[in-house]
Amino acid sequence: MTVTLVLGGGAREVAGETRDGAVLVTPDALHDATGWELKPQGLCRGDVCVPTHALDGVVVDDLVDVAAFGAALRRPVAVEPAAGLAVFAESPEDLAAAIAGGLAPAFTLPDLDGNPVSLADFAGKKKLLLAWSSW
Amino acid sequence: MFIAISLDEDLDAARFCAREETTVPLTYPVLIDRDHAWAEAYGVNNVPTTIWIDEEDRIVRPPAMAPADDKFIEFTKISADIHHEALRAWVAEDIAPMADAEIQGRRTGPDPQLQLARAERRLAMHLLRAGREELGHAHLDRALELAPDDWTIQRGSLPVRGKDPFGQDFFDFYERWEAAGRPGYES
Repeated sequence: MTVTLVLGGGAREVAGETRDGAVLVTPDALHDATGWELKPQGLCRGDVCVPTHALDGVVVDDLVDVAAFGAALRRPVAVEPAAGLAVFAESPEDLAAAIAGGLAPAFTLPDLDGNPVSLADFAGKKKLLLAWSSW
Repeated sequence: MFIAISLDEDLDAARFCAREETTVPLTYPVLIDRDHAWAEAYGVNNVPTTIWIDEEDRIVRPPAMAPADDKFIEFTKISADIHHEALRAWVAEDIAPMADAEIQGRRTGPDPQLQLARAERRLAMHLLRAGREELGHAHLDRALELAPDDWTIQRGSLPVRGKDPFGQDFFDFYERWEAAGRPGYES
């Protein structure tokens, strides 16, 4: 069985299931999607580990509860078990870190015809970005 | 280089605005940030917002409300001239539009509740695009509860909720937001 994880602007089908109102994924799927790995001492990414005793409700029968994972790691996530769907936003800390040095975060977005356009396409020029909408 | 980035969910509405409903020829890129991932990364929570970036990709003017003219000045309380004059000086004479200390002072991350609201909104839009109306609107309602003062979530959701973004629902939001002290609004 699979569920859908949406993070970093992309959706991916990963191994998991929905059960009792929760979206659950395998530890391998979580690792691939988020970089966090379930180890005997806790959830780890690089040198950082969240110890097992702080992971109340995160591990359910060898699977990871995505909503509980988000809460334990202070990573905003919204889940809809009826659709097998979990959607992440960036953590406030990660967003703050990305702009801390004063540089504009890199991005790639589609234009009106669907062609990808990146900030890097305009390297060496002054740029005025305008956020707008029809509303 | 001028780059416009649309926060519309409805791509046809964005295309119509950029191509038909304007007197300005489309000589600049118009990009689509349907999931608001770019807006999230740049700290944009309303439109029209501008961000100025120099030749070395440094942000020299952080996100700010920048009306193109004074048509709505009664509501925005921001004169278009402030930005226009500073922009001319920056482009023509390389005069920095903002002191470093002020740029750093404005560099605050979002609060956790707003990020949760953004996750709920993003989930809602995925569900609505897949035709899951009831589930989608339940999550959109949750996003609206979590972010009562965020324009992008409140006003930006009116079209998908079948409401007029220039109608009574918008004015109800505007009055509530103004009574709260116009949070998150900088020129």
